[in-house]
Amino acid sequence: MDRYVRIFILILLPWLAIFLQSTVFSTYSIKGTVPDLVLIFVAFFALLNRVREGTVYGFLCGLLEDLVLGRFIGMNALAKGLTAYILGKLQGNVFQENILVGAFCVFLATCINALCIFLMSLVFLPVFHVDMGLVAAIIYQIVYNIALAVPLYLWYYDSSNYGRLRHYGEF
Amino acid sequence: MLFVIVLSLIIMSKTSIHRENITLLEKIIRDSYTPLQSGVSGVKYNWDGWTIAFANKKNQSRTIESLKKQNNNLVMQNQKLLEYRAEALRLRKILAFAEPKRDEYNLISARVVARNSQNWYKYLVIDQGQEAGVVKDMAVISPQGLVGRVGSVSRNSAQVILITDRETAVGAILQKTRETRGIVEGLGNSSQLRMVNIPYYSKIEKGNIVVTSGLSKVYPKGIAIGKISKVTKEPSGLLLTAQLKPMTDFDKLEEVLVIKDYFPPVEALEEDAADG
Repeated sequence: MDRYVRIFILILLPWLAIFLQSTVFSTYSIKGTVPDLVLIFVAFFALLNRVREGTVYGFLCGLLEDLVLGRFIGMNALAKGLTAYILGKLQGNVFQENILVGAFCVFLATCINALCIFLMSLVFLPVFHVDMGLVAAIIYQIVYNIALAVPLYLWYYDSSNYGRLRHYGEF
Repeated sequence: MLFVIVLSLIIMSKTSIHRENITLLEKIIRDSYTPLQSGVSGVKYNWDGWTIAFANKKNQSRTIESLKKQNNNLVMQNQKLLEYRAEALRLRKILAFAEPKRDEYNLISARVVARNSQNWYKYLVIDQGQEAGVVKDMAVISPQGLVGRVGSVSRNSAQVILITDRETAVGAILQKTRETRGIVEGLGNSSQLRMVNIPYYSKIEKGNIVVTSGLSKVYPKGIAIGKISKVTKEPSGLLLTAQLKPMTDFDKLEEVLVIKDYFPPVEALEEDAADG
């Protein structure tokens, strides 16, 4: 039963994140920048679970975003899958219980994800206008994501070790 | 990881950008969000109303006075414009000028229920979809100017791709001179647009209003896009680039109008006559 609750929460989190991003956070954005809560949850999951699980979870969360966006399906899926894979590789080398690790992972995840989306947009999209405002938007998002990551990591780490998100064998 | 890369690339190749419609799964997922997004948007709308109602009364009466004055001026201006319109139509008929012009739109009004959930894309979600007759690529406007075009539609909602989106390009001309042609590009910033491909000899200056050129099938001619805020010469010296401030305030946009179809003025006049 606990395993199903865990899966339910893992599905609910990105769904709720997209909902909040498109309503509350987009209305109260900072200079038009909204945080990427989905990416934050993917980063935490990748850090606290096995590499393969993290990659699959990142891919699925990105796929959900792509389906909601209804444009070029696969871009976010690949970007988030790759981000989770790289973060998963860090797992053995960091102290997960340190709150700064959570914040650093979100910083790294935002950079990797932005780089992936940027390169894919340049390669796959027929039109993609670039200017220096893009860099500013990424910097704002890094700050916004880190600000949210600190309190969220406290809850996520606690839940992953002692609460509803605790690992029960398989995914 | 290899599996994820291969799977993503397969999905990407199957879902090219020029899809006519979104898939059933996308429609279901999007419709699962719409009622909640409408709820949040409704709460915000009512909350804003209450906030305004309880705001400083002195400021309110001052605003009402200024709006009354503005309204009187606009009524007078409107009467003059109606005269000019009738005159223009008469002249156009005399000259057998058959070029379609922006004049009569068949509009669908819609409320903004959600905005972009990511920084890479700039879009709005509106509460009108297939059931209201909204289809892909319809132009979307606000009373101030151009908003964007319908990107995809589900049963009860539609996604409007804004002109500020990095993938958007709109053919444009200067309202005053009608000469300068260029392309207005979105930069992912709600307060800035860029106009490119402007010939170096163009009489373009700060404060000029840029409107749609009507060359594309999506946007009707003559809809205000933005105001020129800065003009710079490109390194080649043959072209100019201009920065624009959009006419529409995208951050405060709550209602939009979808152009279902539009008629040339002569057709509209005939329809008016038929209606009595």
